[in-house]
Amino acid sequence: MNSNQLAALAPIITQSVAVLAVMLGIAIRRSFVFTCCITAFGIIASLLALGFAWTESPVHATLLIRVDACALFFMALLLPAGLAVLGFCFDYFKDREGENEELLLLLLTALLGASVLVASSHFAAFFLGLETLSISLFVLIGYPLKQTRPLEAAIKYLILSGVSSAFLLMGMALIYAQSGELTFSGIGHFIANQPAMNVMVLSGVILIVAGLGFKLSLVPFHLWTPDVYQGAPAPITAFIATVSKGAVFVLLLRYFVSAQGYAYTPLMTVFSFIAVLSILIGNLLALLQNNVKRLLAYSSIAHMGYLLVAFIAARSITHTLAIESVTFYLVAYFITTIGAFGVVSVLSTSQTEAGDISFYRGLFWRRPWLAACFTLMLLSLAGIPLTAGFIGKFYIFTSAADGRLWGLLLAIIAGSGLGLYYYLRIIVVMSINIEATEIQPGKPNQNRISMAMLAVLTMLLFWFGIYPDLLINVIQPVSHAME
Amino acid sequence: MLELLGWVPLFPFLGFLILVLASERFSEPLAAWIGIGSVGVSALFVSLIGFEFLNGTMQPFKLVLGSWIEMDDISVPFGFYLDALTMTMLFVVTGVGFLIHVYSAGFMASDPSYARFFAYMNLFVSAMLVLVLADNLALLYLGWEGVGLGSYLLIGFWYKDPNNGYAARKAFVMTRIGDTALALGLFLLFTQLHTFDIQSLMLGAENQWPPGTLLPMVSAALLLGGAVGKSAQLPLQTWLPDAMAGPTPVSALIHAATMVTAGVYLIARTHSLFMLAPTVQFVVAVIGALTLLIAGCSALVQTDIKRVLAYSTISQIGYMFLALGAGAWSAAIFHLLTHAFFKALLFLAAGAVIFCFHQEHNIIKMGGLRKAMPLTFWSFMIGGAALSALPFTSGFYSKHEILMAVFEVSPVLWAAGCLGALITGIYSFRLVFVVFFGVQSEVVEKSPGWCMSAPLFLLGILALSGGMLQVPLGTVFPVLTSPDRDFTFNLVSAITVAAPLLGLLIAVLFYLTGAFSAQRLANYSWAKPLRLFFLGGWGMDALYDKLFVHPFKTITRLNKNDAVDGLYLAIAWLSQKLHLLVSASQTGRVRWYASSLVLGTVAIIAIGLLS
Repeated sequence: MNSNQLAALAPIITQSVAVLAVMLGIAIRRSFVFTCCITAFGIIASLLALGFAWTESPVHATLLIRVDACALFFMALLLPAGLAVLGFCFDYFKDREGENEELLLLLLTALLGASVLVASSHFAAFFLGLETLSISLFVLIGYPLKQTRPLEAAIKYLILSGVSSAFLLMGMALIYAQSGELTFSGIGHFIANQPAMNVMVLSGVILIVAGLGFKLSLVPFHLWTPDVYQGAPAPITAFIATVSKGAVFVLLLRYFVSAQGYAYTPLMTVFSFIAVLSILIGNLLALLQNNVKRLLAYSSIAHMGYLLVAFIAARSITHTLAIESVTFYLVAYFITTIGAFGVVSVLSTSQTEAGDISFYRGLFWRRPWLAACFTLMLLSLAGIPLTAGFIGKFYIFTSAADGRLWGLLLAIIAGSGLGLYYYLRIIVVMSINIEATEIQPGKPNQNRISMAMLAVLTMLLFWFGIYPDLLINVIQPVSHAME
Repeated sequence: MLELLGWVPLFPFLGFLILVLASERFSEPLAAWIGIGSVGVSALFVSLIGFEFLNGTMQPFKLVLGSWIEMDDISVPFGFYLDALTMTMLFVVTGVGFLIHVYSAGFMASDPSYARFFAYMNLFVSAMLVLVLADNLALLYLGWEGVGLGSYLLIGFWYKDPNNGYAARKAFVMTRIGDTALALGLFLLFTQLHTFDIQSLMLGAENQWPPGTLLPMVSAALLLGGAVGKSAQLPLQTWLPDAMAGPTPVSALIHAATMVTAGVYLIARTHSLFMLAPTVQFVVAVIGALTLLIAGCSALVQTDIKRVLAYSTISQIGYMFLALGAGAWSAAIFHLLTHAFFKALLFLAAGAVIFCFHQEHNIIKMGGLRKAMPLTFWSFMIGGAALSALPFTSGFYSKHEILMAVFEVSPVLWAAGCLGALITGIYSFRLVFVVFFGVQSEVVEKSPGWCMSAPLFLLGILALSGGMLQVPLGTVFPVLTSPDRDFTFNLVSAITVAAPLLGLLIAVLFYLTGAFSAQRLANYSWAKPLRLFFLGGWGMDALYDKLFVHPFKTITRLNKNDAVDGLYLAIAWLSQKLHLLVSASQTGRVRWYASSLVLGTVAIIAIGLLS
């Protein structure tokens, strides 16, 4: 390994160092605020290291990892998302009993896993990154040890994740058995040089899709989603919904683009099937749901379905437009999902998780700013103009229409219609006027950092919704880099 | 100096924004200063611009402020166009508008929604200015709809009385019929000529379309539809008498001096198109002639002081249409100008009577107010004289010009115009004599303050001498060939001058000296139904009720449980059922979740391998 490869790995190395620093910090002094500061510092330092790596990219740092504009862009998306989750974690856990410092350690390892995942170009890096991410998540989900729901969620996720990893490994094994290759580009060469479709390789790819489909909670691998989303502490739910899913989706895209996955037509049938089911079933499940965390879980199933449509479109349209769509949609999805779960996290107290919709009754009269912020996040999820979500959805529509995927387009339209109903239902519930006596005075909880995060997210939401040009200009080189 | 043009519509709009955002928080004087001041500044700018424009070459001036819509093949700028026609309209809108704003400060005093009134008035003035300044039809349409909105808001200003709300809706819906036609015309012109710019459109039409062919005919007819709606001409005139539900300054500004003349302005602005469609242009004249007679007859029998004026407005705009139809473009605009002066004067004077006389509208209950309200009386005298076009008043010059030009085109239409002038003379002076002469029944409770008197005084001067104004419209319109003044023409001219005088004489005999009695005339068996027929505006409302409202209500009754709704209810029902169905899969049991993973994987492998 030479020096410029080392420089390219700077963000990942910095994160690893941060993990060590946090661990040592906890050993020296057990203080939640102190640990939070180190963690935040570590994430910011990794962000700065991205600039360092940028000058060297694109470069293969060892066989496992390829640091290019795409990997760096998504790290630059994952790390701030981690920072936002950290902010919500701070307010959420600061007053709770128990030793909460290790939570931050796990948050950092999860981020490290996700960063490796988006940069991986080899099955080994792929699996290592995925498992680092997943194992950190098991513990993060079940972190409030003394409550039953988080524990139940953690165990469910652990078992099912194990099953899906088995599929994943089996898929990799099948592909390796046929091609003798573990790098994405090597597999790509192998497939390109095959005269006919190789059934073993096809089955292997489908098994990998099943394994990743579980992480992305695509139908029919979605059943765990609501239970885990509901059980996990709200900031951690935000983390699963964004960082974990985003990184896995980027990996899927990278794998398919560099390993010639698009060469197999039957795969596209499989994906279309999964996408349509995810969109329809996800939205239908959310329709009459009364728990906001479960509702957001179901809606995330549908959103992954929308993303998959642009992913499928990459087959028939230029890759750059499809990747551009996926990237923009992911950015918008990150902002709004973190914002939405952030609101849930702010409303939760150490006794109760703000899941049930009754918590949101008349929120406009109790916490107008918070309710306004939540409304905007929901409108963005629904894809209403002036929000980032609208531009994202517009991109998906453009990709689907350009690729002449009329059936999928129809599913998106039906799904968006259903989606509007349940998003607006929450907004209606929030604006119901309640009697002044019903408002419990309670002690005003000090959630300054969370509120600041929400303010920033709301501004980004409008910014990318009204002036998307800036983000698009950043994304376009990224989409070229992936090819 | 001409670059100041952009500020002219902006000031009233800013006034509107400030007043609306502050809602009722401002004190009355502050709201009045903002409301009047914004229009005042606009008027000042217009006079500066006008001074430079009229002393210059009077070449058309274009000012593009920015881009509104910019797409592949559509480009709509915020562009203003200034020529002599626009200049005239600007003077009318800001000048008369300013005077009426000043008057309103007194008239609306102590109204609980004082600031709201000025906000709406400012919005209206701003939209009207956009309408007359626009260099393209899209922007013109923006202003066109803006004045419609302003008119709706102001007619229903006293919204607590449901009748006022009804009148406002009626005005909005009736004009909307015309607006739809205008929008269609606009789209047609755009699809055929690929631009919204009015000057390019006119040039393109002249170059590409032979006169009298289908395209210019249809597009001119559609524009005429819009003009007929906004200007309350046959067959869409029924909203204007009801629009009198608004405060009187509103009637003066919107339903007499400015908005209702927008149709006249539109046709004058697109006169090249109408010249390519001679049939449609003749229809314009016929509509004008019919409207002026019908409205004139209705004005004869009204007893509400504002309704008399409303019908007279319809009738006077009929004259403008008659002029447009005859190709006397500048005469039409000249009449628009003088009409703005004397009709605003009459309405404001009527407002003063209503203001000082217990909010009474019925002229039969008034009488002998000559002594008690001298300024108002003289305003009415001057206004009435100008309205009936008595010699040497402003109305005389403009109406005479119109009738002379019409005679060249069609003597029949000229005869209708003269008959209309006779009727105008009768109802104008009937109003003056009934209200101001005879026996005073009740005492006047208060007198108008200076801010009501001053506009009356100024408008009185304008109504008297407005005919002297030289409107340099020759730069905009094709000049008519001057008729050779032979003997017949002098006779025609004499009849034209005599008609209103005859009307005045009849009014004197009936209502002043009592030589004849209108009451006795009304008692004849044939006269009663005729009177009622005229009073109800020729039964047009009842006709539309039968033709449109009743069938529509029947259809809605038949389709009470909206058949189309059924489809959507079915979708909602289906979604709920499907929700319950898929929810059943969420059991919360890990063994089922794990087996679903396996089943799902098997399923997609099957799909992948079999497809």
